[in-house]
Amino acid sequence: MVMPPDKTDHNKTGDAQGLSPALALALHEVRRRERSGLVLMLVSVLLVGMLLPWIANAYWTKTLSSALALSIAAAGATLLYGQLGLVSLCQFALLGVGGWLALRLSHGLAMPFELCVLAAGLLSALVGMLAGLPALRLKGLYLALVTLMLAGGFQVLVTVTGFPDGGSGWLGRVEGSERLLMARPWIAQSDASYLRYVAAWLAAMLALITLHRHSRAGRSWALIRRGEAAALGAGVNVLLYQTWAFALAGFCAGVAGALLAGGVGQLDGRGFGASESVMLFALSIVGGVHHWLGAIVAGLLLRAVPALLTDLGVNGYLAMIFFGAALLHALVTAQRGVAGQLLDGAAALRRKLGGEKGGGKGATP
Amino acid sequence: MIQIKELSVQFGGVKAINALNAVLDQPVCGLIGPNGAGKTTLVNVLSGLVRPRTGGVSVDGIELLALSPAQRVRFGLRRSFQTEQVVEDLDVWSNVLAVLDHVPRHTAGHGSRRDSDLHEAARAIEYVGLQSVATVLGAQLNLFQRRLVEVAKALVGAPRLLLFDEPGAGLNEQESAQLRRLLLGIADFCGAQLLLIDHDVDLIAATCGQTLVLDFGQRLALGPTRDVLADPAVRRAYLGAEL
Repeated sequence: MVMPPDKTDHNKTGDAQGLSPALALALHEVRRRERSGLVLMLVSVLLVGMLLPWIANAYWTKTLSSALALSIAAAGATLLYGQLGLVSLCQFALLGVGGWLALRLSHGLAMPFELCVLAAGLLSALVGMLAGLPALRLKGLYLALVTLMLAGGFQVLVTVTGFPDGGSGWLGRVEGSERLLMARPWIAQSDASYLRYVAAWLAAMLALITLHRHSRAGRSWALIRRGEAAALGAGVNVLLYQTWAFALAGFCAGVAGALLAGGVGQLDGRGFGASESVMLFALSIVGGVHHWLGAIVAGLLLRAVPALLTDLGVNGYLAMIFFGAALLHALVTAQRGVAGQLLDGAAALRRKLGGEKGGGKGATP
Repeated sequence: MIQIKELSVQFGGVKAINALNAVLDQPVCGLIGPNGAGKTTLVNVLSGLVRPRTGGVSVDGIELLALSPAQRVRFGLRRSFQTEQVVEDLDVWSNVLAVLDHVPRHTAGHGSRRDSDLHEAARAIEYVGLQSVATVLGAQLNLFQRRLVEVAKALVGAPRLLLFDEPGAGLNEQESAQLRRLLLGIADFCGAQLLLIDHDVDLIAATCGQTLVLDFGQRLALGPTRDVLADPAVRRAYLGAEL
């Protein structure tokens, strides 16, 4: 039987916050789990980023730099879909917007690399917010179509104007002479050090998203995803939090675009077709939209799998068939994606080795 | 105190609520009526999800229709839905904190806003008896636990009016009895008025001091619950003449 508690109980038995011992313990457990999850993510990404250049050859070092940069853009797509259920098909276009600005600022103003990355993120966040405005009225297929149109518009624009490559004028295009490469940060001049540098950015961006998910924004997004009526009933400003999510996803894409530009030195407009945004979204689902690992898997699928096939002497376009099958598999039988399957496998292994007990179902009060 | 004046809601050609007048001033009030009587529509008007065609609604002297849904939550209005709205990938703590995120808070005596929120969420979770599953995800809770999370969500952030839409739906006898005890203690717990919609007449009779009966969007009866349930017109329209 549940009786209304004595309002002074907390003062008698609670901790410094006035919580009862049972709840204080539960809260401590939640905080410990959140902290350890964040630390594990940071350490894993940084450690892998540190070790990869030791085992990868020059070809794979460059490929993995691009893959990790694209993982940042994928993290934005997974944020929108996993947290809010919103389908945005313009993430690759936002990546291009960020890349364009980073190249322009680097060539035109010789700004420090980090400032170029941040400026690229901010511009893409702004464009992402504008792209997200239809989300206030549209959902599902209609929102996807509108954002796809935006990606198509960017494709046309960048095909006409191209990316800045050290020329004059506000477009910064070189006419009839050698194209310049974007200057890399002074701490990451070599390909190996640049891979580590991108891994550090990836860790920082994943941490930013994880902190959002555990904050007021994450809880508000969860309520919106549960149902707009429920969110309104809880006092959530749906307009604010949807716009916030689009801005954060755009920021991720802009940062990714700048890092991609820094890795290759220049960008080619032909690589920013609207179909790339569709592919990024599809592979984000395959990777898994509910865990940070999913974004990394998506980035690897997008760049590393075609590169692997090429490395093996197989036509890289065969990856499309593999991706189609993987998407079908994810939609039908593995809705938490590759990341979910990996985590389930790890949990099963832990149980088998006698560690953590499974279950976790709550007892009836 | 809820005051409803000449309230009318129309969906196309259907008058969901028709010129309704009522004053509900008891700590726990019931709202009953046959299916389609306009009960949920009235709750939707109170919470701001539906705009009435004419009329007004005030709570404790504040005109609700002038406030947005978010402003009503900040004012102290809380509601639950017929279908529970627990977020499955948030734990019980976070489900409750999600409401506190959007209401004005007074942190006196509890340090930071975060500490104050945790303290208040803890009080609500303990009140409904969910402390043993406070860290469990919504997806792993049973129906009764989910209903209790909905109650806990409504109790935080200095609520003034709670609108519970069939909180006992789908519960067994033992669970209903537990829910009944919780509802009866709400006024002492947080001082909020409770408007309770339910088809369980026993629950209404046991908890509500005053009951409003709707039928085809109109007021059929209003008064002390015992008198209302004994009203022949109510028994004929809602409870069944044989009762």
